[in-house]
Amino acid sequence: MRIQQKNIAIFATAVFVLLELFSFSQKKFNDTSAIGEVVVTASRTEKSIGDIPVPVLVISKKMIQQTGSQKLIDILQQQTGLVLADNPLGQALQGYPNPFGSGIQLQGLDPAYTLILLDGEPLTGRNAGILNLGRVAVGNIRQIEIVKGPATSLYGSDALAGVINIITDKPTTNRLTLQFHAAVNNTFGISAGKNLIGKKISLQLFANRYSSGGYDLDKNIYGKTADPYRNYSFAIKAFYDITKHIQLQSSARLFTQKQFNNYLVYTGTQPEAVDGSSNETDWSLNNQLHYIISKKIKLVSRLYVTGYQNNATVFLQKDRTLFDRSFLHQFLVKPELQFELGSKPNQKFIAGVGYNYETIDANRYAGEKKLNTFYGYAQKEWLPLKSLNITLGARLDKHDLYKAQFNPKLALAWKPLQDLTIIASVGSGFKTPDFRQQYLSFTNSLVGYTLLGANELNNGLIQLKQQGLIDANIDITPYLTDHTLLPERSVGINIGMRYRLFTNTNITAEFFRNDINNLIDRYHLPFTKTNNQSIYSYVNVNSVFTQGFTVGIDQKLGNTFTVNAGYQYLDAKDKDVIEKLRGNKIIKRDPVTYNSSYVTIHEYGGLFNRSKHTANLQLAYTNKKQGINCSIRANYHGRFGYSDINGDNILDDDREYVQGYVLLNSTVGITLRNGLEFQTGCENIFNHMDKDKLPNLSGRIYFVNCNIDLAKISHKNKKNNQP
Amino acid sequence: MKKMIFSASMTALSTMLMLSSCSKNSGGVIVNTVYQKADSVKVNFSSSTPFTFFSFKNDALVANADSASIKWDFGLRFTTFILNSHNYGPGNTGAILQNSIYDNVTTAPASGYAYDTTASQKAIKDGSWYNYNLTTHAFSPKAGQTFIFRTADNYYVKMELLAVDYEPFVGPVPTRLIYRFRYTYQSNGTTNF
Repeated sequence: MRIQQKNIAIFATAVFVLLELFSFSQKKFNDTSAIGEVVVTASRTEKSIGDIPVPVLVISKKMIQQTGSQKLIDILQQQTGLVLADNPLGQALQGYPNPFGSGIQLQGLDPAYTLILLDGEPLTGRNAGILNLGRVAVGNIRQIEIVKGPATSLYGSDALAGVINIITDKPTTNRLTLQFHAAVNNTFGISAGKNLIGKKISLQLFANRYSSGGYDLDKNIYGKTADPYRNYSFAIKAFYDITKHIQLQSSARLFTQKQFNNYLVYTGTQPEAVDGSSNETDWSLNNQLHYIISKKIKLVSRLYVTGYQNNATVFLQKDRTLFDRSFLHQFLVKPELQFELGSKPNQKFIAGVGYNYETIDANRYAGEKKLNTFYGYAQKEWLPLKSLNITLGARLDKHDLYKAQFNPKLALAWKPLQDLTIIASVGSGFKTPDFRQQYLSFTNSLVGYTLLGANELNNGLIQLKQQGLIDANIDITPYLTDHTLLPERSVGINIGMRYRLFTNTNITAEFFRNDINNLIDRYHLPFTKTNNQSIYSYVNVNSVFTQGFTVGIDQKLGNTFTVNAGYQYLDAKDKDVIEKLRGNKIIKRDPVTYNSSYVTIHEYGGLFNRSKHTANLQLAYTNKKQGINCSIRANYHGRFGYSDINGDNILDDDREYVQGYVLLNSTVGITLRNGLEFQTGCENIFNHMDKDKLPNLSGRIYFVNCNIDLAKISHKNKKNNQP
Repeated sequence: MKKMIFSASMTALSTMLMLSSCSKNSGGVIVNTVYQKADSVKVNFSSSTPFTFFSFKNDALVANADSASIKWDFGLRFTTFILNSHNYGPGNTGAILQNSIYDNVTTAPASGYAYDTTASQKAIKDGSWYNYNLTTHAFSPKAGQTFIFRTADNYYVKMELLAVDYEPFVGPVPTRLIYRFRYTYQSNGTTNF
């Protein structure tokens, strides 16, 4: 009976959808009035969100402010399909967090495969593929745009899974804003923003100071789980209208952070305490000249220069002698020229050329490295039908070390109905091997193994042989070959739809599939050093795929309530493992009973570190009249693979998973009549903690914010003074 | 504490295995005397320390003084296996690594055994039989690897490594590894297990 009712409901919905299909006239593409939000990341030109032919998410300033959060990573992981994940190169160990950190996993690809842009330009200084998102202060973010699926055809290397573009405020109105933030763990933040609007020149200034006392999940282990730190951010942005048609946009940014480290080391048989600090500095200059040559031709020239430095030093506490020093220095210059032809939206042609000059130096590399990349890209949009938009783009990258990489992308957006957009895209992506995979030259002092980047392997082997660290009987000449790594390559398909049901409901659904080849992995050479330890290097081996779907619903209930819900299903597997499983070639050994048996294909749980199910739910209440603003946000991480326990090196046993968990956060804000806003909130209400496997989760956090908008306040005061 | 429980379960397992072999004999089906043991061996970590020598026949460690004899079959130091043949001893030990389930290996190959011909050409290649975790420094024997030996005095053995743990240690570097393995020794000289 119930099933029948369900069938009737499905049928009724189908009929309703069909009726809608036939009863409404087709919507014209050039009409962008329906949806106001404008996104630049997906096409490198301003485009209404409804017309974008690829999956895109937008986080507005209002949404950021509503959460009261000061941490970009927390804001990002509230979005459907953006999952916080550990760097696969490391693991949390004995109460210490993963030394390589964690980042955002998109479409099941590791954090290193998502390009992170600030105002359209890449942030540098990734530690083993992970970019510390704490470097980006949230106080002056205007909008965050997330494009899912390969965006290499526009942005080049690293954009396999997608792009996260953080766009900072524009100086639009004269105002002064202040924010004070305080939270448990001795966390304090203060930020100030000031806009100065002149006739020709507008300025935006921003400064932020943030500090945290860190936290300790295990008192039995010396030192804190997360060390204390403090950081400062400064940004200045200037818009200068040189003539009616020429505008100069210049911005400068500086971030500096000091983290205070304190832990135990062994110099002999007894542990000894060391302390010191890690200092991170990140700066950039971003200059853009926008020149409107005619109604149809626009020219943008960009010059981006950025530097990143990380220096860490620790000293023995007993006599202040130096124990360890490490550094990573990176520098990038990126000039670019872009043309935009056409005046009508969704029919534009863009083309650009650019050059990357990059240097990197680190204590684990053999000297400073310089790299050059030339690139060019083009993209054309057509409207063959009023309701159909076709975008074709391609990019060519010529890197010093690799043959030219050509990456095309085709995307379609079809609007069969006023409120329905169907999108489909296919594109390729690539990621050049990172510096570590190419240039690492490192010997573990504790165990004695050696890790050599592919480009350092020949030199390293010759050196080891000369130093007598490789047995004289071993002939290394067969291994002195060209080890150059190939870029990792992917093809991504995205199909989806956006539907506005009535006026208060927005539904999105997307399917994705990424096939990645040439994935780089570590291997050991078939002989050892004289200390019996292995020599490791990197090679292109694996082929994996990630596929799944996301669904989202956005529902307004009256003028005060909104509900957002999203879910992602993910299936990410290694193709070589699947082939071996089909051939009954993988054997597992139970760690308790020691019984061995063949692993079946059904037992294979896919790649480690990925949740099959993730979901998010947000309820928000906004009452503008009374100045009340509340939200409650839940984030579900389904169980995910952690590490192998049964000797087959794949995920296939329930004991190899970290159990799923829910993070629940809430924020309440009250805005007084004079524009003063107070916020208070609680993050991780359930106090979910796992000191061994999830040391990045600090437990429950309470915070308070005080936001002052002096523009609003003075405006209100003027009003009040009127008779 | 964890380790103690572990050893206890090992003892239980070895007892179980002994019982199963007895029951097979009492059934009268198997004519060969099959010798089964689950055992653990402590092995030096440092490459400047001596190897630990093991004899399958005696199910026992062999003193270093006897390293020039055929009393031992294999030696272990850190993760390096040496065999009693060619470069390392007067015996005839050879080995084959087979990708198969231990229980399913019913006969040893008649030929194809690899020897330690030189110090750098070992029968059991270092790194071939374990997965190493760079973060935890754990060595875990790959599942489904059956070591088949022809011993120093030409008997056949199948062996499976079950676990490799560090002996609890203080300081930066462990001093010893604990190897746990099981094997079946065919004392009648045939290749059947």
